[in-house]
Amino acid sequence: MEKLQKLGRMPVGLIIPAIAILFVIFGVPIVQLFLISVNAPSFSLVNYQAFFRQQENVFVLFQTIKMSVVATAICVIIGYPTAYLIVIASKPVRTGLIVFVFIPWLTSGLVRTYAWTVILGDHGLINNLLLDLRLISDPLPLLYNRLAVYIGMVHIMLPIMILPLLSVMQGIDQSLLAAARSMGARPFAAFWRVFLPLSLPGVRSGTLLVFVVSLGFFITPQALGGLRDAMLSNFIAVQVASSLNLAPIAAAAFILLAIAVFMLSLFGMDIYGTQDHRGRTVRKSWRSQLSSLGALPRYLNEIAIPYRARHWAAQLYQAGSGSSWSKIAGAVFVLLVMIYLLFPELIVIIMSFSAGPFLEFPPSGFSLQWYRSLFGDPSWIRAFWDSFQIGVTVTILSTIAGTLAAAGLARTSPRPRTFLMMVILTPITFPAIVVGVAAYLGLVNLGLIGTKTGIVLAHSIGSIAYVVVIVAATLANFDQRLEHAAKSMRAGPVRTFMRVTLPLIRPGIIGGAVFAFIASFDEMVVTSLVSGFSIRTLPLKMFENINQQIDPTIAAVGSLLTLMPVLWLVALYVTWWRSRLRLQDAPVNSVA
Amino acid sequence: MTVYARSPTPLAEAEVSDTSSVSAQIEICDVTKLYGTVAAVKDFSLTVRRGEFLTILGPSGSGKTTALMLLAGFVAPSKGDILISGRSVAAVPSYRRDQGIVFQNYALFPHLTVRRNLEFPLEMRGMKATERARRVDRMLVRVHLKDFGDRMPSQLSGGQQQRVALARALIGDPPILLLDEPLGALDRNLREQMQGEIKALHREFRKTTICVTHDQEEALTLSDRIVVMRAGRIEQTDTPEALYDRPTTRFVANFLGEANILESRDFKIEADAAQPLGTVAMIRPERVCITAPAAPKRADADLRHSVTGKVDDMLYAGPLRKYQVRVGRSLVIVREQVASGQQTFRAGEEVRLEWLRSDIRFVTS
Repeated sequence: MEKLQKLGRMPVGLIIPAIAILFVIFGVPIVQLFLISVNAPSFSLVNYQAFFRQQENVFVLFQTIKMSVVATAICVIIGYPTAYLIVIASKPVRTGLIVFVFIPWLTSGLVRTYAWTVILGDHGLINNLLLDLRLISDPLPLLYNRLAVYIGMVHIMLPIMILPLLSVMQGIDQSLLAAARSMGARPFAAFWRVFLPLSLPGVRSGTLLVFVVSLGFFITPQALGGLRDAMLSNFIAVQVASSLNLAPIAAAAFILLAIAVFMLSLFGMDIYGTQDHRGRTVRKSWRSQLSSLGALPRYLNEIAIPYRARHWAAQLYQAGSGSSWSKIAGAVFVLLVMIYLLFPELIVIIMSFSAGPFLEFPPSGFSLQWYRSLFGDPSWIRAFWDSFQIGVTVTILSTIAGTLAAAGLARTSPRPRTFLMMVILTPITFPAIVVGVAAYLGLVNLGLIGTKTGIVLAHSIGSIAYVVVIVAATLANFDQRLEHAAKSMRAGPVRTFMRVTLPLIRPGIIGGAVFAFIASFDEMVVTSLVSGFSIRTLPLKMFENINQQIDPTIAAVGSLLTLMPVLWLVALYVTWWRSRLRLQDAPVNSVA
Repeated sequence: MTVYARSPTPLAEAEVSDTSSVSAQIEICDVTKLYGTVAAVKDFSLTVRRGEFLTILGPSGSGKTTALMLLAGFVAPSKGDILISGRSVAAVPSYRRDQGIVFQNYALFPHLTVRRNLEFPLEMRGMKATERARRVDRMLVRVHLKDFGDRMPSQLSGGQQQRVALARALIGDPPILLLDEPLGALDRNLREQMQGEIKALHREFRKTTICVTHDQEEALTLSDRIVVMRAGRIEQTDTPEALYDRPTTRFVANFLGEANILESRDFKIEADAAQPLGTVAMIRPERVCITAPAAPKRADADLRHSVTGKVDDMLYAGPLRKYQVRVGRSLVIVREQVASGQQTFRAGEEVRLEWLRSDIRFVTS
């Protein structure tokens, strides 16, 4: 008890478990990896020179950057108007749409990629449809090309773009737009001069997240692309599997990391800008914006002024024309985006109940045969069971370590907090393949390659990061004076935490635990590197079979993986809703 | 010669006469605003004269904010019409109405400096950069923020933000100024100071101004006329003095200042020929005199009512003392200026209360 109390008084002590795991699995090996890449102890750049000397490497590197840029750009172009339309929708519609964006985000990326192979394949949905309609005589080559990769990448990353945009846009004070309009700004001017600039922090963090995630993309180019669409991650993975020489792998990993870090430092490090930081970063970014980019719009604006002057008089007291046309266009756009986001998941679920002997759409009848074959196959059962065990263990471990770390971070002073937060978040901000290679090396050090313990540890570093982010966000809204109040009533630190802090941040902890589980259950890139040949988790086994489109057993696995996050979402909603209900009740009770 | 030099805009005209009183008359004709089946504003009719400062006063939920939204053009009336200078604006979107609005939380653009905030309405009107700069400079001096032009709104104090908001609403020289709880976010001292500031700005620019507030003191000090609203309807419209001195309803009497309702069970008020049916008698606390029961009667005693009661409580508030006196089952509030040689009464003492019959007002209950 006394020890615990001491630990409670020492905020750094709470962070130790999380940092220790991160240090052993990720920190030490990434340093090792760096030393290997620079050929320590003789220190030379031979490995990097070797990388750039091979034309094929340079080609893959540029292709990786190019594909990431294109995918990010498409995400901005589709994501920004979507987020805007969602924010201006009426409340019930908005809530529904946000849920529709959340569902694919929580759904396994692997399943969503698989869905596109089903849709775009030679015997897939589109080709079958066109063949049936006799519009074509041979299947169109829709799959295994660059377009398919972009479709898949954007599909997977659109929620990652939309969600930060939504959170920033929802924070924009609506009265600012009313103010702009009252000063004579037409709707477009109000948007351009007020809404857009204020939403830029969201664009920035969304772009950054999507770009960095794109750099580390692995599953989608492998499953949807042709041989020439490989990205650096695929390249590294192949080398890890085939060669024992770590030096070129280390060099490639650090080149990838360097691009990511360069982008991060260019746009500012704090991807998950916390509430109290936001005000400051907005202002700072605005200063730089005014000096660099600001000149152009201002110039264009000056040109437009005489035009506005001429029309000002004519426009005064003029009745506004109905904008129903633009409303319809907006609704259609959002509908199309939602179909794009959700249809593939739906396809997988529908197809898993197919009665036919092959994968076909629409299914010829309803049957549970593929679920029967899934649960009749001991290798699938084993994979499912392994994944579940690993997921639960990871959840328990990372929820405890992550919550303690978040509580510790809340008590440290801002400077070390920002730094420690950045360190803890590296496993989810660095490209997945780099994390994978580092974790591989870390588990080699511990002799845990190919063991469940090893996989649990490798998954935990990412899951801890999710728990810390979510619990820290909850703690940021937590009123510290409540703790002081409890202490003034003679409650010790432990009792204060258990009786006051914990009940209030419980929704955050549950949310963190759900994310920890989903992250682990769905993890494939890191797992594929550290599992050796002895353990096949569910995503790993599914990935092996993903190109065999004929077997609908995969559709059954996929729909299980799809339905799970939906169930989680319901669970989350219920806990959050209940806690909010309780908070709403509170003042009523105190009055009564 | 440019195209728009040939066709002068209203703004160019305004420039000639500069900040002279270009103000408009507002007529609100029988406006109703329904949200679903609930009427936030019902059968609202009002004429605001040119250059008048009118305050819409009411408790929260009385529909005053909706009334302002209707005027600003952010919501459209379900029924009725709004005329500005004789032209219907019910279907005109807010950006085509020429109105300056000060929002409740100021709504200063957080991403623009004070200077750029002030330039915004001018830019939207299509004014050239040099002219904009000239006007902004002048306005910054006017609101005592000469050296604050390059600050961001977040770097200003509450009072400074309030002044920027006022300046931004006035700088485009709109004929109408709308204020939404303009002093709600300020602390007491600052509020008094800003009341003076707003009053001075109104004297200087003579804009037709409509202010919405729940603060009676703000309404009394600022306005030429006050509209008291209750449950979506106008309860009474009059000058501050008349409204305070001659409230027509019990609601207005209670909402503006304090009122003693003299229930007939405790007070015998001779049936006055002037007392309309369905009304109750009311007296303001400062019109009641408190004396010892044995004190000699005044010369004008026959013009006065007199009752005895027992002091329930006494509150000392600097320049005045406030007594609560129990008369029968009623509590009468008495407010007395503190003066030298005055007798103070403690709780439990017997006292006599007196007031002039002519100070009694009859209000509908």
